[in-house]
Amino acid sequence: MIFLRAVWAMCLMALVSGAVHAAEHRVVIHHMELQAIEGVKHVGDVIIFDNQSDMAHNLYITYPDGTVDNLDTQVPGTQRKLTLRQAGPAVVRCWIHPIIKAEFEILPASAAQKP
Amino acid sequence: MAAHMLSFRMAAATLVVLASAFAGLAAHAAETVLVSRELKEKYRRPSETPFPKSNPFDAAKAELGKHLFFDPRLSRTGAISCASCHNPGFDWSDGLPRGVGVTGVPLPRKTPTVLNAAWLTALMWDGRAGSLEQQAALPLTAEHEMGMPLDEMVTRLKGIDGYARLYEAAFPGQEIGIENTLAALATYERTLVSNPAPFDRWIEGDESAISEEAKRGFVVFNEAGRCNKCHSSWRFTDDSFHDIGLASEDIGRGEFAPPTVVIMRHAFKTPSLRDLRFTGPYMHDGSMKTIGEVISHYEDGGKARPSLSPEMKAIKLTKQERDDLIAYLKTIQGQPLETAIPRLP
Repeated sequence: MIFLRAVWAMCLMALVSGAVHAAEHRVVIHHMELQAIEGVKHVGDVIIFDNQSDMAHNLYITYPDGTVDNLDTQVPGTQRKLTLRQAGPAVVRCWIHPIIKAEFEILPASAAQKP
Repeated sequence: MAAHMLSFRMAAATLVVLASAFAGLAAHAAETVLVSRELKEKYRRPSETPFPKSNPFDAAKAELGKHLFFDPRLSRTGAISCASCHNPGFDWSDGLPRGVGVTGVPLPRKTPTVLNAAWLTALMWDGRAGSLEQQAALPLTAEHEMGMPLDEMVTRLKGIDGYARLYEAAFPGQEIGIENTLAALATYERTLVSNPAPFDRWIEGDESAISEEAKRGFVVFNEAGRCNKCHSSWRFTDDSFHDIGLASEDIGRGEFAPPTVVIMRHAFKTPSLRDLRFTGPYMHDGSMKTIGEVISHYEDGGKARPSLSPEMKAIKLTKQERDDLIAYLKTIQGQPLETAIPRLP
């Protein structure tokens, strides 16, 4: 029983530790501009795109291997979450408004996030 | 008594005249349209034309580009030049519902104007070109447009006496090639800028430049009509892509987006309204003949489907608002941009 409790506690600690290191970053969309995606980003981090403009957007990220994650249409006043899944240079763009473009670097997952 | 009555009548008449004058002034004041400076600023023309660092402006390059633009020998048959579809006489388009190239087969989409192309960030109706240099190669090589493989174009240009001199002036020490040909065409196209329109003078502060009706139309454009949701900036385009709910089967930008990007199905680039030809046709497929038909389409809100732009919402305009809107649109027409057709080598 004590052993089981210890294992359970270790699992909880690991979960808490992971949650702490998988950081969340908030990026605001104003009109046709993305707030700069600043700070260090790791695989597993989450970017929350907050559409505070008066128009719909449809963001997508392109990873270094060319694969794309689409965030679907985002009407004003809504948020979309993106979990970063690949290290390297990435670019976020909008399908509707190609003028929107943000490039940033994603680092490998931090040690605490690795299973 | 008679004199007294006369002066009474004169006084009464004066009062009526004064009352009428005040009423007229009040009515005029009520009709005066006040527009915020902030809103006007959004439509102010830029003072300079942008040229990319990779292909800066040069007069000799623009001159070469102009010759190339008007030269039908750049097409496979030798019969179609860029200017055949981007005809200065039709405000740099062709006045047709859909373009026609070397094969005579109607193209799937209407020919857009090349006016103000210097500011474009995504070119072609579906945005598949990112610069004028890239774009220039597309109609040149498209089977039903000019149908000319680029290497054959270079061979043909090398065989025409007179081009060597123009290329040497524009690109000293370089041979005639694909890259410099496209660069020259792009440079010339960037020089094609709409002339200032009455609307621009109003934006600059000349209140008499446009009528009160047109000013009311500007308000309709930005409010009840929701036109500014996409037709924004001094060029009246957001350079973005929207499905406006036309019946066309053409999926536009959807062809280049993953199937999961539903919003891009039937999406096309917002065309500029500057120097709009009021003779039509309108829309990317040339499917509408009159401006009234276009306004009705927006009043109806377009065909409901998952890809329909969230900016498309049915609107209700009064006859007065429609008339005002059309009066306004006419104020964003400047004098036609005319040019002398070059004598080709």
